Amino acid sequence: MTTVKMRRTFAKVGVVSGLVVGGLFAGLPVLWLLSTSFKNNGEVFQNPPQLITEGFSFDAYRAILGDGAQLRFFLNSYIVAIAVTILTLLVAILAGYAFSRFTFPFKKTINAVIVSVQAVPPITLVIPYFGLIVALGLYDTYLGLILTHMVFTLPYAIIMITAYLNTLPRELDESVKVDGGSGWTALWRILVPTAVPGLIAVGVYTFMISWNEYLFALTLTRTDEMRTVPIGIQLLMGQHSYEWNQMMAMSVLGSIPVLLLFLFFQRRFIGGLTAGAVKA
Amino acid sequence: MTLTAPETSTRAAPAVPGRSRSTLTRRLVPYGYLSPTVLLIVVLMVVPIVMVIGYSFRDNVIVQENSVFAGFANYTKVLTDPSFLSALKNTAIFISVSTAAHLVLGLAFAMMLNSPLLGGVTKAIFRIVYILPWLFTIAVIAVIWRLLLDPAGVVNHVLQTLGLIEQGVNWFSDPSMALWAVSFVNIWAGYPFFMISLLAALQGIPGDLYEAAAVDGTNWFQRFVHVTLPQLRPVIISMAVLDLIWTSHQFALIWMTTGGGPLNSTEMLSTFTYKQAFSEYEFATASAAAVIVLLLTMVLAFFYVRSQRER
Amino acid sequence: MALPATRLKRVIGAVTAATMVAFVAACGSDDTASDGTVTLEFAQWWGAELPAGEFDKIINDFTAQNPDIKIKLLSAPYASTKQQLLTGAASKTLPDVVGLDGAWVNDFAKQGAITDITKLMADAGYDDSELASQIQLDGKTYMIPVVNFVYPLFVNKDLLTEAGVDKVPTTRTEFLDAAKKISASGGDAKGWVLPLDTAVPNGVQNDVMSWLWASGGSMLTDDGKPNLTSAEVKSTVEFVQSLNDAGVIAPGSLTMKEQDKVEKFSNGQVGMMIDSLAHINLIKENKPDLNFEVAALPAEDGFTGERGIPYASWGIGISDSTEHKAEAFKFVSYLMSQETNAKLSTIANGFPGNKTAEPDFSNSDPLFKAAFDIYQQGYPANEFVGLPKSEDLMRSFAEQLQLVLTGKTSVDEALAKAQENWSSVIE
Repeated sequence: MTTVKMRRTFAKVGVVSGLVVGGLFAGLPVLWLLSTSFKNNGEVFQNPPQLITEGFSFDAYRAILGDGAQLRFFLNSYIVAIAVTILTLLVAILAGYAFSRFTFPFKKTINAVIVSVQAVPPITLVIPYFGLIVALGLYDTYLGLILTHMVFTLPYAIIMITAYLNTLPRELDESVKVDGGSGWTALWRILVPTAVPGLIAVGVYTFMISWNEYLFALTLTRTDEMRTVPIGIQLLMGQHSYEWNQMMAMSVLGSIPVLLLFLFFQRRFIGGLTAGAVKA
Repeated sequence: MTLTAPETSTRAAPAVPGRSRSTLTRRLVPYGYLSPTVLLIVVLMVVPIVMVIGYSFRDNVIVQENSVFAGFANYTKVLTDPSFLSALKNTAIFISVSTAAHLVLGLAFAMMLNSPLLGGVTKAIFRIVYILPWLFTIAVIAVIWRLLLDPAGVVNHVLQTLGLIEQGVNWFSDPSMALWAVSFVNIWAGYPFFMISLLAALQGIPGDLYEAAAVDGTNWFQRFVHVTLPQLRPVIISMAVLDLIWTSHQFALIWMTTGGGPLNSTEMLSTFTYKQAFSEYEFATASAAAVIVLLLTMVLAFFYVRSQRER
Repeated sequence: MALPATRLKRVIGAVTAATMVAFVAACGSDDTASDGTVTLEFAQWWGAELPAGEFDKIINDFTAQNPDIKIKLLSAPYASTKQQLLTGAASKTLPDVVGLDGAWVNDFAKQGAITDITKLMADAGYDDSELASQIQLDGKTYMIPVVNFVYPLFVNKDLLTEAGVDKVPTTRTEFLDAAKKISASGGDAKGWVLPLDTAVPNGVQNDVMSWLWASGGSMLTDDGKPNLTSAEVKSTVEFVQSLNDAGVIAPGSLTMKEQDKVEKFSNGQVGMMIDSLAHINLIKENKPDLNFEVAALPAEDGFTGERGIPYASWGIGISDSTEHKAEAFKFVSYLMSQETNAKLSTIANGFPGNKTAEPDFSNSDPLFKAAFDIYQQGYPANEFVGLPKSEDLMRSFAEQLQLVLTGKTSVDEALAKAQENWSSVIE
């Protein structure tokens, strides 16, 4: 009995020390980022390096939060990411429903196209994309950004939602149909509410992609009224010098919404992924 | 809500009496559900791809008003360019190293986080720490690692203090080091998504499989090989292919850390294409390069579609 | 289990609201308002480099004088401005007035994106004799430099004194000697810093070719063809190589950008750098106690001729596709007017593009006065201005130089290769 207990203790020590080592790998760079956000710019390359310096202050945060233009970047990121999340879910639910509940000609082909769209390199699209967005009158607008982000978030969302809906028994929607309801009613009355954990997983994921997107957000906007947080951070890099502390402060502020989203939904997020990933 | 659902039923929907929809309308229903998706993908994905393919067969597109058909000249030019070939090699190394490391780290971390030996609070705290790199946008990741890996930066300082290196290493600017440095940064930035997906998959493995194995007197490693891995296989395969694809898209990280240098040692297909377009204004050759990159990723996509079907 | 109707409504409501926001935002406004006022879009990177609010003041003065014209500033950093202008030019959405770097002019003009200002000057009856310079292509002006920034040598006095160098170097030999002494004086400091990143290859212009120009040399022949295999260019590259061999260049050169250069100097990690005068304020802000001064760039030993001073400009151009060329030129001539130009150069720490404008040194750093004297003793030199695909030229040169510095090729081979690359671009 004692040997079993001892082995458990050894195993536990092993796992915990493994976790600590991995945690240092993951966390130390972030800790350094956090520490830099409280320094003043001259102290960033201080030798020897220090975590907390004499110049410790909240100045960088004050500078970001006191600047209307920077706050506008946050507002834009929220508008775009929230709209992308909602619209992606909406469109992906419809598509996932079609893939999960119907058989129709070209189903496999359309599915393969949607899946392989994920593989299209953004760099391929950048060259013609600008002209296209201008021609559609979407240059420097929220809608242009939202639709573009959706092209990249939709495929994965559709795959996940289809997989999730496949785990739900057909008897569910058919009970509605027997009562005289349509497929549409069944989808929104029964399937969507049942699929909430899966939808949350997809939603969190979509929000993160949109919140962090950089290449198109840079190419498709030209005024500060439309730019998002990643571009705002890049603007702080300036031409001539890095505003290290402000860049780091803005990164910290920019990561908080994503962190909160993850903290708040982490159980459901992982649960939703589980159901989608380990499809029966 | 329990998810003990058995196999998806394949029973056809029974005809509902009192509803006289024409069969044609009924056949169109699934297309109706798909129409927003298809519209979006056609306009914002298929159209630009067709445009870029069109550009790749012309000469001096975009910068000159009247460009002419050029056949495969642009393709010949790209495929015989030694920097394109070295970009191809670098990309292959970069994506395979990154994906392998993402898989190993992701699996190791996920298994530790799923360990039954630990309490819920401990796991929750570590889960948050481990997810941190995922929360930062790539511009920030590039900047923070430039700061850390600067020749006068904190990483060199720590390594020197520990006596592991004698002189500061030029992580990003030594041609023999740079590719490994950017791969390392990409590994740091990318493992959490792997980890989370594998963690989710691990939690979906029915506990009785392990119990049965434990009854048979197997040890930890045997259970890992005979229960865990086979159960995770579909997830691992599709994640690995997806990761190869996503990593090959990586542009911003390279551009903001090394810009493809030094001596082209970190030049990737994406940075090569970008330079052709936005610094040499050779939009036609850039388009040809973009199409070649597209074709290469389509090979990966083929495997991805297949792995999705298998699931 | 069933979704309550209200919740469904709320979801749909939220989606509709989000879509509406997006659509309303999507409806752009026409640039000529119903009351006849014209809105000019002005894309530049200048606003970002001036003290907050200063540029707006100058713009507001203009709109106060011209109530029928509104100016909408599109500010971005230098590199993003370039990419946006490029894509804007390709899709005919170039802003009405654009900030230009001399190195971009050739490409934009050939593309037909920026308009011939000579004609606009004639139409407006503008007297161009006050303009210090105009950037021309085939005899037509496409860009007017508004403010010029010179690139002198910055030296950290404390590091120099510590190393036992009592005189700021004026020749290449003295520079090498000083750099060696600084690097040898203990601590982590190095003598010089050379940013050679190939993503942003302007180090070739600012930190390498500047040595050539300072000794009166040229990288082009008299008729504008590349001349990289000349003795002058060779001695310049060999000088850089000798600095590298002596180990006096700060590590990390091959992926270093301009920002890193300024930072290393500000932090006392390097003793000397070649940099824009505009950075004096920035350095003083980050490191108020840094003891530094500016000097003319060292020339070849025994050189007595007039020295070329590397410079960069905030140039201005007008879109070819704008419908408001006359209004756009009115704005340009406002920026070039004696009073405004002097004011702008003073706040930007640059030298005016209008010959009659005198920068006001009374409130500025004494270092500016020193630099103005250096400027007036030499001639402004930047041979990349007006060249086609200049960034690409810099990149291919940087790549060859990287090979030299890593010992992978000889100076002669590298220059022959660079000459070949350049010849295929400059016809």
